Amino acid sequence: MEVPRLDQPVNFHESVTSMAISALWWQLLHFKGLVQVFLSSHYFVLFPISNKFGYLKMSEEDVAVVGSSSQDDLIIQQHREIEKEISDRIQLVGLKESLETVENEYLNDEIYLKKTRDLGTKYENIRRTRPDGNCFFRAFGYAYLEYLLDKKEEYARFRELAYQSKDRLIKLNFPKFTLEDFHDVFMDVVNVVGKGPESSEELHRMFNEQGYSDYVVVYLRLIASGHLREKEDFYQNFIEGNRTVVDFCSQEVEPMYKESDHIHIIALSSALNVGVRVRYMDRGDGSETRTLRHPLPQVATDHVVIYSKLVERKLR
Amino acid sequence: MALKFNRNKHNSKIILDGERWERRLQKELMSLVREPPPGVVVDSDQGENLSLWTINMTGAEGTLYEGEHFTLQFKFSPKYPFDSPEVTFIGPNIPVHPHVYSNGHICLSILTDDWSPALSVQTVCLSIVSMLSSCKEKKRPPDNSFYVKTCNKNPKKTKWWYHDDTV
Repeated sequence: MEVPRLDQPVNFHESVTSMAISALWWQLLHFKGLVQVFLSSHYFVLFPISNKFGYLKMSEEDVAVVGSSSQDDLIIQQHREIEKEISDRIQLVGLKESLETVENEYLNDEIYLKKTRDLGTKYENIRRTRPDGNCFFRAFGYAYLEYLLDKKEEYARFRELAYQSKDRLIKLNFPKFTLEDFHDVFMDVVNVVGKGPESSEELHRMFNEQGYSDYVVVYLRLIASGHLREKEDFYQNFIEGNRTVVDFCSQEVEPMYKESDHIHIIALSSALNVGVRVRYMDRGDGSETRTLRHPLPQVATDHVVIYSKLVERKLR
Repeated sequence: MALKFNRNKHNSKIILDGERWERRLQKELMSLVREPPPGVVVDSDQGENLSLWTINMTGAEGTLYEGEHFTLQFKFSPKYPFDSPEVTFIGPNIPVHPHVYSNGHICLSILTDDWSPALSVQTVCLSIVSMLSSCKEKKRPPDNSFYVKTCNKNPKKTKWWYHDDTV
């Protein structure tokens, strides 16, 4: 197999292996827990020039990697394997675990251990979500709906909002007939919550069944996107590069598996009037996790608390 | 218009809810027959296999492709609409366009990276029509011969790099 070379610029157009390498690099950063597996079983086979890895950049001038397209196949196959490994190991949404299980992961890491212990004084349980790029939306959906199981009034408010959201989104030019499918399934899940606390197991089952869970994720993505589009003038100020809000929505919010940034969190939180608190595990000073609240003036409590152990900004 | 479909005998192993998959595709087909994008003609009878469609397209008036006829093929995996459809030009006339390879593969971001389950066959057709209509010079992509020789049959197995929205 031809080894990618970095020292000799080649002009190329669309099918580019280098881009894929950059993508893998990001995955490495994100999937910390998997680095070992990743490195030992695939990495060296594919690119036996690991010491040059750090030189790879995304700009056209710097990168000069055009191998055969069979490398594309290998890269995609490798992506699939990693995804499969993750999906075999981690449920879409896990069962409740005590914070101690997180502590046990950091026994040799003083900073993280201190911070996890601190979390333990404030929270009883944690649920893990699968790091598939949808984790924020899935975690949000689950955490909030679970919270609503015994909050009749708040549930009624949310159900009405969810029900009305379809027409709002159609007004924003989302294709009606695809939107309807997602809205219908979303409402099926919301209606289950209306049956009260005894439906908690059913909720859990639905969130672990791709046929429901992914529909919920899509619909929440559309709600977030709809909010950004409605307040386009405001959110344009927070979008980097030359992209418009609409570009950003169609490239970063609506597609599945695209990671969430603050803007996604704020959009969803504002659209549904639901407070979110994000606890970041980072290497900064102090014994507490960095906390980011996304409250709204009219929202007194944080309904959803999300824990992110990533140092990077994005939530997978 | 009465549409009748038979269950695809190949999708017995559908990962997602099979009925929902079928319903969505039928809905899409009906909507495309009812309101096709300009220049697009689709036969409501796509045969037994709902996961494989053929769509005819005519180059719009006043564009470089005026009067030309093209055929698009759509393949839907059992994970559709969470996975994007596999879309290629097929048949004797493949449009000569900077984003279309001579083997029919199309470089269009919504077919891979920017695909969203809320998009549809209709939106894909619209994008392709507009991609053809805005073309100012008929030419193949610069790496056409290399790509066509080495690529996989399935364009979704190519890591595409999108960098030019202007043509």
